[in-house]
Amino acid sequence: MSESKILYIAIAESSTIIRKGVIATLKQLLDGSKQFIEITSTEQLTESFRHKQIDVLIINPLLYNTIEHSKLKANSSFKCIALQTSIADKNLFNSYDGVISLYENDQEIVRLFNSFIEHKNEEEDSEEVLSQREKEIIVCIVKGMTNKEIADKLFISVHTVITHRRNITRKLEIHSTAGLTIYAIINKLIDINDAN
Amino acid sequence: MIKQHIYRDSDKMSDLICCNYSLLQVLSRFGIPMGFGNKTVKEVCNEQQIDPKTFLCVVNFIASDEPTKMEHPEIKLNDLLLYLQQAHIYFIDFNLPTIRKKLVDALELSPDRTITTSILKFFDDYAAEVRRHMEYENKNIFQYIGELIQGNVQENYSIIEFEKMHKAIDDKHVEAKLSDLKNIIIKYYPSQQVNYLLNSVLADIFSSERELALHCYIEDYILVPAVLDLEKKLKKS
Repeated sequence: MSESKILYIAIAESSTIIRKGVIATLKQLLDGSKQFIEITSTEQLTESFRHKQIDVLIINPLLYNTIEHSKLKANSSFKCIALQTSIADKNLFNSYDGVISLYENDQEIVRLFNSFIEHKNEEEDSEEVLSQREKEIIVCIVKGMTNKEIADKLFISVHTVITHRRNITRKLEIHSTAGLTIYAIINKLIDINDAN
Repeated sequence: MIKQHIYRDSDKMSDLICCNYSLLQVLSRFGIPMGFGNKTVKEVCNEQQIDPKTFLCVVNFIASDEPTKMEHPEIKLNDLLLYLQQAHIYFIDFNLPTIRKKLVDALELSPDRTITTSILKFFDDYAAEVRRHMEYENKNIFQYIGELIQGNVQENYSIIEFEKMHKAIDDKHVEAKLSDLKNIIIKYYPSQQVNYLLNSVLADIFSSERELALHCYIEDYILVPAVLDLEKKLKKS
């Protein structure tokens, strides 16, 4: 079932009670689909980043040194939140995107997460509009042309056609040719008689 | 994490439905009519000659948030098969035609006939695909399982092959099509005023999608492991 985008949240904390507590709290507070990944050791942390998608990492800075997390940060883009479990020097949290203390109130947690999610959406929105080239390609697809035919007609490589098609699918969230046909008709890119 | 409620055979059938109305579909597919008064699940099932364990297995599966594959489901295969066949009839003869009718009425308000025609054609293609998929299952898979229940083993076929093919079809094809239809209506359909009928048909499409996904999960996660168990048992003897 793919109803909406899923937010992948990893929690790196060795205490079972705190880890499960954080998950239960977030489940209750945050809207939308979430998947939680529980991490209990440094090895597992590196392993998880290698194999899984992670959007937000909540981590106990006392357990994992900062070198580790900046190393991970270099390889993939995710938000890193420090989980503050005891009184600590503020400078310890400088390299993190946010801090959640064990005594944080509901609103503050929601605010922190929403700021991440909204930020993410903004980045995507700016690319949502179809370019003129992409519109031309939609017309070709709807007319039933193959990638090769489209490439020849527009004087571009097949590889570029494929990239354009991938971008069109991502922007419109329409996967099938039949779906693109309807899109093209609604937006008057083609005449009904052109459709294959 | 909050432990999710598990229904038992001593629960009142009416409580089951009132707690979670999405279980209504389970009742109709097992052929259980309403009006069960204060009878328990076990009593109602026995009256209708349905195995209570199979009934509860499906009920708890549907009520759970995250369906997971069952290892050795304790079910009566024959009853599950009847349930799934009934589900196919529901989708093909009732659910999809009902959505289509509503879609026709909702789109009637649009002045642009070409858009209406192309959306209806899209829906018809989708419905045809679902029908093809289900008829294939009826003819081949359910037939095979039926034979197996009678004790007739086919040496050259195993349900594992169905499992492989089934997952590939559901994940990519059918679901992608339906999500295209939803996106077209939600994001791109040109409507000037509020169209209650269109909103309502959209809600129907969402719930049909969920029901269909659950239906496929039941096939993959309950039916397949149960058939595998039976295959093993028969091939040993």
